[in-house]
Amino acid sequence: MIGIMGAKVIEDMGNVGRFAGFVWQTMIACARNCVRSKTYPLIWAQMHIIGVRSVPVVMITGAFVGMTLAIQAYDQLAGMGMEERLGVLINISVVKELGPVLAAVMLAGRVGGALTAELGTMNVTEQIDAVRSMGTNPIRYLVAPRVLACLLLTPALIIFADLMGVLGGYFVSVPEPPIGFGINSRAYWSFSAAGVELWDVAVGVIKGFFFGGAIAAISCYKGFTCKQGAHGVGQACTEAFVASFICILALNFAFGVISKAIYSTFWPIKSLV
Amino acid sequence: MEKDSKKNRAEVSDGDGIIVLKNLTKTFGDNVVLDNVSLAIEKGKTTVVIGPSGCGKTVLVKHLNVLLRPSSGEVYFKKRRIDNLPENELNRIRTHYGFLFQGGALFDSLSVAENIIFPIRQHYRIKHWSEVEDLVKTKLSIVGLDGFQNFYPANLSGGQRKRVALARAIALNPEVILYDEPTTGLDPIRADIINELILKLQKELGETTVAVTHDMTSAYKIADRIIMLHNGKIIADGDADHIRNHPHHVVQQFINGQVSEDDLAVLRVSGTLFQAQFLPRDFKE
Ligand SMILES: Nc1ncnc2c1ncn2[C@@H]1O[C@H](COP(=O)(O)OP(=O)(O)OP(=O)(O)O)[C@@H](O)[C@H]1O
Ligand SMILES: [Mg+2]
Repeated sequence: MIGIMGAKVIEDMGNVGRFAGFVWQTMIACARNCVRSKTYPLIWAQMHIIGVRSVPVVMITGAFVGMTLAIQAYDQLAGMGMEERLGVLINISVVKELGPVLAAVMLAGRVGGALTAELGTMNVTEQIDAVRSMGTNPIRYLVAPRVLACLLLTPALIIFADLMGVLGGYFVSVPEPPIGFGINSRAYWSFSAAGVELWDVAVGVIKGFFFGGAIAAISCYKGFTCKQGAHGVGQACTEAFVASFICILALNFAFGVISKAIYSTFWPIKSLV
Repeated sequence: MEKDSKKNRAEVSDGDGIIVLKNLTKTFGDNVVLDNVSLAIEKGKTTVVIGPSGCGKTVLVKHLNVLLRPSSGEVYFKKRRIDNLPENELNRIRTHYGFLFQGGALFDSLSVAENIIFPIRQHYRIKHWSEVEDLVKTKLSIVGLDGFQNFYPANLSGGQRKRVALARAIALNPEVILYDEPTTGLDPIRADIINELILKLQKELGETTVAVTHDMTSAYKIADRIIMLHNGKIIADGDADHIRNHPHHVVQQFINGQVSEDDLAVLRVSGTLFQAQFLPRDFKE
């Protein structure tokens, strides 16, 4: 029993090591790709597939998050007579936490799944070996453009999600009943403006950078290491999604801790200015 | 058989040969696929590897350009040890090789023309696209597929895919070409054209060729030297006549396409194939 667990732990440690090596090589390849204009078309193509086509789903996600928050929070706040603060509650949740995380989860499903399936299929049909056999580094040719596209576009997609979340919240809160809750528009926005700082928006968007990188790196790694056959590809996709999801949540938690620390360090200075 | 293994050892220690495998062993888990194989591939010659299905021919050729790393043993290319090089240095060496995968391994998201351009685009700066187009046209007409430039691999037949893969493998005119079953799945006439192509490339460009095949006609036609693998070892090594007259019964059975009595025994046991009588669920007599 202990032996089995020990073996499993050793195996997992080996996997972590391999993944770290993969990420390291990917970072080098990304840096090289950035300076070689020859690879820009590849990155461009991936940006189109990964980014542009994800805009609608991410916007829908954002809008529903904002609308649902408004509906759930209104009664609580109205009970205390603070319904005019609905704006700040919705907007700060959307911009700081829910927008980035849910958009990233959406992307992990949409983009991560596709990346793993594509690279996994290429792996089992020896296409990755074919890239190697022609003297090209598959990490540079296949992985780096995808990772770069995810890195650059996830923050942009999160901005879309934020925007739609804010609008969704607004359209549930402000219009007169029965469409909305009839909150005074001026009060709604002025409380929001007072409560949401640029810092909050920035944290949300910077998170996107890391979420995007994590999703792409995990999905590509799972594709590269997938086992033979259709079953292997399917399993790799599932594992990639689960791992990306957990990684997003863990990164988000880490970000919460770190950004709080940074914020409280600099808050006194800011009030002096 | 004794003589063969001695001959191998002598060649390796001489160190001539553009690719040399030294005491190469490859295992997958407990499965020993190649067992202490030593082999020197001569420059400018055609070496054909034969052997029963599953004996490790593909694994052997994948070691020649270190697509697979040996479990133990060494691989040399032009007297330089390459099996322990990091992947990026290997990539530079692999540009000297062309590799035809058994399954073709075409990039299915790229068209036929893009597949053939791929190695060129990776390693050269293309100035005139018309030159590249001409090159694609020539390579495709060699394999009889001119006009298929804009097809996608999914829309080709198995044999056509194999031929596109062949065109891709020779796109850069590499020094060494490794063919994994170049003629399998082709009709006899097309197969013979491929044989002629291999001979032509070798004669005119002095290319070193290693071909894996089951097709003895093709092997006799193209080979300067034939190697037979069996149970992870080289059991025969020599020119076509040497193989034809080889005393080892496994070699004779293989080249003549005879089944051994042991293998036939399973068919002889009366009724094994026919005893089970499965009837459809709704079957009524
Ligand atoms: N990636 C791998 N992982 C595990 N085992 C493998 C792998 N590749 C090959 N093998 C094993 O190596 C053995 C030889 O395989 P190989 O593909 O070299 O056969 P082959 O001689 O090319 O056969 P064929 O003529 O049918 O193509 C097989 O028993 C196979 O199980
Ligand atoms: Mg094979």
